[in-house]
Amino acid sequence: MDVLGFYPMWYVPVIGSATIIGIIASLHVLASHTSVGASILLAYLATKAYKENLPQIYDYIKKYILTLLVFSYVSGSITGPGIWFSATVANPRGISALIHNFVWVWAAEWIWFVAEVTLVYILYYTLGKIDQRSWLRLAWTFAIGSWATMYIIVGILSFMLSPGHEKWFTTGNILDAFYNKNYFPHLLMRSAYMFAIAGTVGLAIASLMKKDLPERVYKDIVKTLSYWGIGGVVFGLMFFAWYYSTLPERSYVVIESVVPTYLKVSIMLIILVVLAHFLLTAIRPTAARAWVAVPIFVLIFFAGVYPEEKIRETIRKPYVAGEFVWVNQIIAREVPAKGIKSEVPIIDEKGLLQVNAFVPEGLKKITPENKIMAGKAIAILQCSGCHNVTGSTGLRPFGQKFKGMTDPEAVYNFLVSYMKNNPSHPPYMPKLVGTDEEIRALAAYIADLVSKGGSVSAKIEVPKATAEAMK
Amino acid sequence: MIKRLLSSFLPFAFLGSVPSFAVDVGVLLKAQTDPAGAPFYPVVMQILQVLTFALHILFVYTSIGGLFVAVYGFTKKDENWQRLARATLELSKVSVSLAIVLGVAPLLFYQVIYDPLWYTSANLSASWYVMFIVFLLIGYYMIWIAYFKRQNSGVATLFSLLGVIFLLLVGFIIHVVNYQALYPEKWIEWYTSGGTTMNISGWNIYAFNLFRYLAFLVFPSASVTGIFLMLYSWYFREREDMDKNYLDWAGKVGAKLALYAGVPWLLSFLVYAFSTPADWNARGSIFTWLAILGLILCAGVVFAAQKNPAGMAIPSLIAGFVATLLIAVFREYLRVASTARFGYSIYEYKLNLEWLSPMLFLGTTLTGLILYAYAWWMAYKAGRTPKGKVYEASETEHHLGDASVFVVILWAVVFIGVGLIVIIRNYA
Repeated sequence: MDVLGFYPMWYVPVIGSATIIGIIASLHVLASHTSVGASILLAYLATKAYKENLPQIYDYIKKYILTLLVFSYVSGSITGPGIWFSATVANPRGISALIHNFVWVWAAEWIWFVAEVTLVYILYYTLGKIDQRSWLRLAWTFAIGSWATMYIIVGILSFMLSPGHEKWFTTGNILDAFYNKNYFPHLLMRSAYMFAIAGTVGLAIASLMKKDLPERVYKDIVKTLSYWGIGGVVFGLMFFAWYYSTLPERSYVVIESVVPTYLKVSIMLIILVVLAHFLLTAIRPTAARAWVAVPIFVLIFFAGVYPEEKIRETIRKPYVAGEFVWVNQIIAREVPAKGIKSEVPIIDEKGLLQVNAFVPEGLKKITPENKIMAGKAIAILQCSGCHNVTGSTGLRPFGQKFKGMTDPEAVYNFLVSYMKNNPSHPPYMPKLVGTDEEIRALAAYIADLVSKGGSVSAKIEVPKATAEAMK
Repeated sequence: MIKRLLSSFLPFAFLGSVPSFAVDVGVLLKAQTDPAGAPFYPVVMQILQVLTFALHILFVYTSIGGLFVAVYGFTKKDENWQRLARATLELSKVSVSLAIVLGVAPLLFYQVIYDPLWYTSANLSASWYVMFIVFLLIGYYMIWIAYFKRQNSGVATLFSLLGVIFLLLVGFIIHVVNYQALYPEKWIEWYTSGGTTMNISGWNIYAFNLFRYLAFLVFPSASVTGIFLMLYSWYFREREDMDKNYLDWAGKVGAKLALYAGVPWLLSFLVYAFSTPADWNARGSIFTWLAILGLILCAGVVFAAQKNPAGMAIPSLIAGFVATLLIAVFREYLRVASTARFGYSIYEYKLNLEWLSPMLFLGTTLTGLILYAYAWWMAYKAGRTPKGKVYEASETEHHLGDASVFVVILWAVVFIGVGLIVIIRNYA
């Protein structure tokens, strides 16, 4: 029998596994951008302390590094693998595609991770215990090493959105995949915004140390952070415009028709708030307050980073990696250079349930008894990457999408005409695959779900009669 | 044919039931390998996986073992114990960071050559797999709270205890994922509960082996931390501001701990190794015996170190690392033996050989080694400088520092420069 390389499916009702990745990824972005931005800011401040003979700046630097250790090097270094872990179970074939293309690139990033983690501890423990010149060197290598992790991961993130060029499909050359047209604007945009994030944290720490620092030193620090922050926001906006111009065509459709307006508005608002905050502290350094900076930092997470990550995830659709793996883990396109074949024809011919080894035997052959359950299994396997397929709330829920459609025939006609044989198929959704019998089972399940009020248990049960027959 | 039939049947003599599924396990494993293939020779991935795992697990051991000592020490009134508890809490705090970062590499290389094993097993217990991250986060913050409250032994005991409970839970989850991965013949039966459902919630745990858990995590944590205490005694002896009596005492506590925990480490390893399914042939494998030999060697060195723990700290560390490495090799042997039953061999993994990214890795590794050498040397020197004094680097050290800054900048320039060339070539 034909078996494709699917894995056991993980289904998270209501919010979906994608939201789990989104939360973990957003935490990581906030923590990692804080630490990378701070590493450069602190190296700059250490240079200032050394050149202008302002040793009090080191007290500030030490406090900031401790903050990094407690926040970024706990939350950031755990949520980094956390993205990987959650992607492993939410989309194993997507992450596998990336790892099998970029393993050495990630391994190179790992060298910098090790440098970053060991250096942050070394910087903390050796401050004031080794001569300033030596410490300054360590600070700059920490800064460049930290930034290097961003150089690397951005290439992989850009590839996830799109290889950028048709060439990669035929050359398979890693350079064509990694340095795609999205790479530099993406890198520069993140690099700019990280100063704004790190600057906000820096202002909170500085304001808490106001009494412990000489006035001149305090003002110097606050002004430096504010100028870097203003630069970060302004350049960030410029690079965002460049980044936007390099997106693939389908992403524009998604941004215009799928991404909710409130996500876009919230990002713009938080950028304005952050900019206003830096302008204020640049003009009046004494106005910096932790009770202002900390809530702004929290808002950066909820109103800036989370919506940004959510949009970035959405504009990749229907793909999850390199424009050849769909969000539902089906390989949808050939990559001749790697000998990768599309799985769509075989699934259309044999059926999705048939080619997935982790579907119970009692659901592989559709019968009147198991039709609804087989349909639910298809919905979970094929649609749950983007939809709550068992309810009416949460992630693009089926209960809402198919509201009022209680007739299986009507649902079937809609699925076939809109999702399977539609010349103007929505560019952000994978084509519906499987045999006609399977699509009818899916339609029967959806009609059943809607007729039960739009919400059913996520449990899949093979009807006893079918299970007995299989034995 | 008979051999094939036997190899399919035998494992169930140990696991309890015979599958009744249509899918051939060998076909499934083959289908699950990534169609992109491995970008480099699988044997290289395998070697790197084992080596980096040994490094990673060493710091896992000191993370957990450091907390064992901290919990015990904080409950004692004796000042030496209180001081040692604070030191091992600090060891644990730094070790968790290192364990996390060093854990990335082995998993990365593993997922290239054993993707069917890892992704299936992780997905069988998907929710627990995600909880790994949550528990690790909680556990690490418990350790930080204990660290900030280290002067209050009651609070420090409580949070160290919570920290070690969460770390052991994290270890339990990863143990389950690794262990389930070794039984591909059971996966479908587990996931479908014998063909009746699909366990999509990810809250199921299907297999656990207590002796493997004890041998690979709990006992070595105590033993290896004992060796680190000997090292602690050795390293700080040079510092004139450190109490020699305390250091001697700490070294002896370490030597005892290493030895006393080393015995159950060896015993639990023997029980696990000899209770693995017969067709994995662990009894007849040289890798099993090498691991046992490594453990005995380590125990021997630690035994000899009882009278002079500080003097024998480095040989003990080497022996401990060799034992850990040999166990890492044995773990890998189990994967090879388990999957060989179904005709799976990483050496036959589809190859899409590619040279540019390995060169990037090599170049980055060389750059990193220069940087690490400088940074760690300076840390070593700073740690041996008495409190209140500043270590002034020598001219040679300044040159090494300049070289490390230079190579790091050079790396960045080359990386960005190559990117610009490629983009101009492809898009201009």
